[in-house]
Parts: sequence; C-alpha cells; structure tokens
Amino acid sequence: MTTLDFLFLLSLSTVLILLLFGRRPMAGWFAVAAYAMQLIMLLAIWKGFSGDISVPSSFHFMIQGHQLHWGMNGLGWFFALITIIAAMLTSAFSAGEWGQQQKNMHLQHVAMAVNVFAMLLLLSSMDFLSLFIGWELVSWAAYLMMTQRGGKAADAAFRYLLYAMAGAMMLLTAIVLINVRIHSFQFEAFWDALPVLPSALLWTISLLFVGAFGIKMALLPFHLWQATAYSETPGAGAAFLNAIAARMGLFALLIVLLKPIGMERLQILAMPLFAFIDAQSLLLWLAALTAIIPTFIALQQTDARLLLTWHGIGQGGFMLLGLAVGTPMGIAGGLLHILNYASYQAALFLAVTAVIYRAGTADLDRLGGLITRMPWTFIVLLMGIIGLAGLPPMNGFVSKWLIYKSLMDANMPMLLVAASISTLGTILSVYKLIHNIFLGQLRKAHFTLKEAPLSMIAPMLILVLIAFVTGAMPGLALTIVDAAQAALGYDLLPHHLGGITWPSGSLNMLWVTGILFYGIGIGAVIFLFLGNKRHVTHQWDNYAGGHFLSAKTPYQYSHNFYPGLMRIIGGWFGQQVLNIEMGLRHFAKLLSEVFYDSYQVVYASLYLVAALVVTLALIVKG
Amino acid sequence: MNTGELLLELVLMPLVAFLVGLLLVLMMRKVRAKIERRVGPPFFQPVYDIVKLYAKKTQISHGYMHDVAMMMLLGGYIASEIFLPVPGMDGVAHQADLLTLMYLLMVPMLGMAMGVGQTANPNGSIGISRALTSMLAYDIPFVIVVAGAAIHYGTTSLPTIIEIQQQQGLQSWGLTTMPLLALAGLMTMHAMLGKEPFELYVAPAEIATGPMVEMSGKYMGTLFVMQCFQLYTVGVLYTTLFLGGGLNWLTFLPKVFAVVLIAVSITNVYGRYRTEDAVRWLWKWPVMIALAGLALVMSNV
Repeated sequence: MTTLDFLFLLSLSTVLILLLFGRRPMAGWFAVAAYAMQLIMLLAIWKGFSGDISVPSSFHFMIQGHQLHWGMNGLGWFFALITIIAAMLTSAFSAGEWGQQQKNMHLQHVAMAVNVFAMLLLLSSMDFLSLFIGWELVSWAAYLMMTQRGGKAADAAFRYLLYAMAGAMMLLTAIVLINVRIHSFQFEAFWDALPVLPSALLWTISLLFVGAFGIKMALLPFHLWQATAYSETPGAGAAFLNAIAARMGLFALLIVLLKPIGMERLQILAMPLFAFIDAQSLLLWLAALTAIIPTFIALQQTDARLLLTWHGIGQGGFMLLGLAVGTPMGIAGGLLHILNYASYQAALFLAVTAVIYRAGTADLDRLGGLITRMPWTFIVLLMGIIGLAGLPPMNGFVSKWLIYKSLMDANMPMLLVAASISTLGTILSVYKLIHNIFLGQLRKAHFTLKEAPLSMIAPMLILVLIAFVTGAMPGLALTIVDAAQAALGYDLLPHHLGGITWPSGSLNMLWVTGILFYGIGIGAVIFLFLGNKRHVTHQWDNYAGGHFLSAKTPYQYSHNFYPGLMRIIGGWFGQQVLNIEMGLRHFAKLLSEVFYDSYQVVYASLYLVAALVVTLALIVKG
Repeated sequence: MNTGELLLELVLMPLVAFLVGLLLVLMMRKVRAKIERRVGPPFFQPVYDIVKLYAKKTQISHGYMHDVAMMMLLGGYIASEIFLPVPGMDGVAHQADLLTLMYLLMVPMLGMAMGVGQTANPNGSIGISRALTSMLAYDIPFVIVVAGAAIHYGTTSLPTIIEIQQQQGLQSWGLTTMPLLALAGLMTMHAMLGKEPFELYVAPAEIATGPMVEMSGKYMGTLFVMQCFQLYTVGVLYTTLFLGGGLNWLTFLPKVFAVVLIAVSITNVYGRYRTEDAVRWLWKWPVMIALAGLALVMSNV
C-alpha cells in the first residue's frame, strides 16, 4: 500500500460512510473531518515526489492487453490540494445552520464526496484509458451535484450533460486516433511518438483535445453551459464547483497537450490554410477572448450567482493565457492563478449564499444596504472582489501581474491589452455586485436581518485570509506551484517570500502591501485626528432634492447600473452563438425523443425479430 | 540604503507630493482665473480651503465604509507616490514596477466608489457609475500606452526607465523616441484627471448628481487633499514615462508643472462630454494614436 492508495481508500470510504449515514445530524462535521484527513494524507504524499517523479498507486489492472494504472505527480497534487481544501471549507460552511435548512443535505454530502473521489482519480491518471474513466466519473459526479434541486437546475444540468457527452465523444475519438497510430494507451508511448506524428494528425488530435477539455473549462465557443449550470447548484456545492471543477479541463489539457507537445512545437505548428497563425497564437487568442467576452457578459447579469460564474469562465481564460505563453513566468502565473482564483471565488460564492440564506434572494435589483446588517459577510465580499478584480494587495493581483509580465517579456503587447480590458471589465462588474447587495439604501423588509451564523462566516473568513496572506506573501503559494511546474517539465521561476526579483522589473508584495497600508495609515491619521468630530446619520437623512425620504420612497440606484456604457457596447452582445447552441439542443432533444420512442418496451420483440432476420440473412449470404 | 534614510523618504515623499499638489491646485485656479480675466485666488487659498473644510461643525458620516473609503483613497495615492521615483528618492521604487503602479492607481477609485456607495444616495451612485465607465474608457488607451512604453524601454522598472531616458538628454526622452504614444498618453492623462471635457462624473456645476453629493466637511476636505495628490501623481507619472524624469528638483518640477499646465489650459476651453460621447472619443482617438505608436515601437524591436 502506498500513500496514494490510502488517500483513495479514505476518499472512497468517505463516500460510502456518507451514503450510509449522511442523514445523521452530525454528518456534515464528519465530512469536514474526513476531508481534513484526506488533506493530511495528501500532505504526506508531498514528501514522496520531486520533479517529474510521481507516487504510484498499487491499484492497476489489464484490459485486453492494455494496462490501466494510477499515480500522482506534482501537477495532480497541486490540483488535488485545491480540490480537498475547497471541499473541506465548503463542507464546513454547510455543516452548521445552512445544512439544517436544506431538504436534501444527504444527497449534497454524497455528491460532494463523489466529486472529490472522482477528481482524485482523474488527477492521478497515468494513461489515456484511466484518464477517460476519470473524466467520465468527474462529468457524472458534477451532474449529480447540479441536478439536485430540480426545475431550472435540472434543465441547466441537462444542458451541461449534452456538452459533457460531446466532450467525451471528442476525447474518445482522439484516444482512438492515437491508439490506431501508436497501438498503445500509455502517455509515454504517445509522448515518444510525438516527434514523428504528421502535422495533420497532430492538429486533429490537438483540436479534439482542446474541444473536449475546453468544454469543461467553458472555453469559447463552448462557454454557454457553465453559468446557469453552476449557479443553479445549491450554495456550498456551487462554491466548490466554481472554485475547482472547471479547472479539471485545464489539468487534462496540460497533461495531454502542453506538457508533451511543448510550446516550441506549438509555435511552429502552422495552421492549415491559415499559415500565418500558429497553434500557440490560436490558443493565446482563444484564451484572451475567453477572458474578455464572458467578463462583459457578467457585467450585464442581475443575479449575483450568475455574475460570479460568468467571471469564473473569464478567469479560466486568464489561466490558459498564462499557461499558453509557455515561459516559466507565464506557466507559474497561470498555475498560481488557479490557486488564487479558487480561494477568493469560493469565498465570494459562500458570501452570496449567506446573503441568499438571510435575505432570500440573489437578485441584484432587490437587495441593497446590507452592510449595516451583515458586516462580516460584507468584509468577505469586499476582500473577495478585490482579489477577483486583481488589485493589490490581494493574491489575484500577483498571479495576474505574472501573466501580464510574461506577456510583456514575450513581446505580446496586444494580449497584455486584452488581459487588461478583461480586468477593467471585472472591476466595473464586481463593483456593481457589492454596491447592489451591500451599499445604497437598506430595504424596509431587510431592517430586521441578522448577520449569518458563525458556522458560515468562519469558512468564508478563512478563505479570504488565505487570499490575503498569499497576496502579501506570494512566495508561499509559489512554492506549491513549483511542484506542478516541475512535473510539467518547465524551468522553475525563481522567487522569494515577497514575490520575484526580475531583471526587467520586480515585484515584492511585502513592500507593496506594507506601503499600501502605510498610506492608508497616513490617510487614517489625517482623516481621524484632524478636523471636527463626525456623527453618523440615518440613511433617510439624505439629500433628496427637497423631498423627505421614508420607507415608502424607493431611493436606490441599482437596475441597469452602467447605462452610459451599455448604450455603446450593449449592441455588441451578439446572440449568434446562443442561436447555434439552441439549434443544436433542439436537435439533440429531437434525437433523444426519437430514441426514447423506439426503445419502448412494446417494440422489444420487433427489434429481436428484426435482428434475427438480419443475422440470418448474413449467415445465408456468407 | 540604510533604515534611517528609508524612513525619511517614507515621510518626505507624501509630504512633498502634498505640497507640490497644493501648488498645482493653485496654478490650476490661477490659470482659469486668467482665462476668465479674473484676479484669481491668493497664494494660500488651497490651504485655507482644506482648513475650512476640516474645521466645519457638521461632519456627516453614513457608516464605517464611508470613513474607511476616505483612508483608502488617500492610501492608494500615497502608496503610488512612494513607488514613483523622484530625484534623490527612489528607495522602494525597485520593489514594484509600472504594472503595479497602474493597478495601484485603481485602488483610490475603488475606495471612492465604496465610500459613495455607502452614503446611500442614488445620485452618488449614478456619479460612480459614470466614473467607473470613464475609468474603463481612459484606461484602455492608457494600457496600450503603458504596454508600448514598456516594450520600447524593454523594462517595467521605473528607475531603469528614467535611467534610459537620461543617457542622451532630449534625444532619448520618450517624447522624442515615441511621439505618438506620448501624445496618446497626454490625452489619457487628461481624462484621468477628470477635468473638462471628461468631468461628467464629478459634475461640479450640478452637485446633486455626482459622487460628492453626500460629502460634507472633512469628507470634502479629504477629497480636496486627494485632488492635490492626484494632480501630482499623474504629472510625475507622465514625466517619468515620457519626459525623462529629472536629475534634480530644479529640472524635475518644471516638467511636472508643464504637464499639468497643458491639461488645465485645455480644460478651460471645453464644455463637457456626455458619458457615451466621452467613451466614444477615448476609444477612437487616443486608442488609434496609441495603436499606431505601439505598431511603430513593435517594428523597431
């Protein structure tokens, strides 16, 4: 038994125990403890590998002469760490008061545990068959999590399923193509055969892989399913899915494409017909568009959950952008962004869930002024949005800085501009989020609201604290990133606790954070100690152009928050992709109905007869 | 550099910024007065204004975020000023770079937005909606300018950028080596200052629809202090990027004043753009000029 076997066993028994005893009142806390044990086990694995070496699992078997085996290297470990921490903290969130209010908490516990187990399997796959098994398990586990609520959620989950099926088919096709050529399912055999593969085949395989995994990442143009599917999932599960689930696509893309093929090959891999575009530029611009377009779709949302999930899609583009630059700094930036994003996105989603728990809605047009009622949730959301927007001193800034910097060093200024446009759009959008929920005037219906209970506040605060500490001391997170980067076979980015020292401009977040707080301190001295004493007034004691304000006067500005901007860019939001997708969905529905009808039991004997006749005919003819 | 010098710089840099900022505000008012054929305010008028605002009896707060926002917006500018190298003082300028500064400059904007949001006045929120829209508008050309300048100098380190420009005097200034980017930079810096024709979100003439609607007493005073910092920061940033910084304060300050003078002179002969017109204008001219400048820079790399 290796440490990885223990981890699998622990994860599997978590699933089984929750399946059996998930209805018990303390099941939530048990789940937290189980994830904590898995985390300890995972940390024990850390000692077991270095560089490209992986910790093997003793569990393996043969199918028709092909070996399936599992093992965890630094890259898988990096993703597994995020997965388990996200599962632990979101479970802690749902273990207390929130979970007691849920009708199907049993199912939610099981779904979470199944997801973690499936992801661990995927993250340790060592050949194409185990990768495919893990991939399918992850897809179905996510479906299990999404479909719980029924109604709109089930619709969204069905939509997800269609996409996931298409992705699986593409993956299968790619794997079969590889097997036909090299007669093996092993990663190593594929990597060895790569230099002699013809460009056309490599293009086909690459496109199929990018399609298959891009669907999970919601890469453009497969971005439509994710926002509704994730936002309709119940609170804690949605936070987990948002933080890490979509990154599985990125992991798979890294392991099958970026690691073996390498950036050098992608750079000279010219596109058929369009020879001036190489594969790397294609990937970079796809990533940049994924960073921009979903961000501006997020800007238009009026539901807090939808807004956040659209940003999640956009941030996925950011990660791919860094990874596709292919320099040590770009790779480090992309990987670091995965970790950073998980920390604040989970916190943001939990904060929004807390708001829904108290106020009953996430509709940005029906909230406002909650800062006075839910101050801790406000602080979490504030720190979270600073991270999401990528401003100092939170960790989101550091990873984005690395990505900007790598683009600059690679002489790609237009991509840098594209990335910055995405960041600017994010700032606008997250301000709308926090303004419409927490700022402005409090509605009369919310006068008696209370702060969310401690069991919900604590996990959120831990998450934003992680986001803050890894922002001020990015060296901590970069050490973990090193493990993944070494496994990918790239040079490591030299770093120290505060950031990196680089010939063309350095970043030391210890100084940036210190100086920023020093400045805020001076501001505090100027503001608090000089001048007359301030006094706090009621929200109705406001300038209203001569009117008297009361609970009867709606005095909040939230709907259509950026009218000036929307008058210009509003027309740019085309519906073409949506229309194509709608057509495809109708087609799939039609097909499924046809199949459903033809599989009905009454016809079973008819099919049997038909099959018999065909077989007989073949025999007679033969 | 020893600790004593560093501490001295940390105290001196914001102080210098404030004093120069006061002078810049004074210049702005004097220029406007001259254009309108008035005498203009006395030398100490900016100081009187701040003292007056801080000493007002009514100081209305709308909650703790309203107060914290005031500290955030001062803090963001003070931090930016400490990271901007000026003659004789660049102690911590090596710890951050141009990209950091670009995003650090958005912190005050976010702080302002948070504070105004807490004041719970829709008129303020409308102002912020316009302010953030214009931030999106001017930051896109600004990013292109920054990217072009960084590619041209081959670095984002601010002290190195100054060093490169001081090697051959006027010939190596950013203004002469990349005039198109310098021009686009001047346009975006102007919009960044929020002066006419881009002052829709401040809208001083009709205070009821701007971010300042609930800002009284020392809140207004803090915004005044912020304006001093803002004029200084923008002037120094432009000087650093395109005018070769300065060997000493005697050559440095005139450049800063010249940059701000251009902005305030243009300001006074313009009316005001509506939000969408400002966005259109900024996405058309400065972006086009900056892209052309960037293309030139890229062809020389």
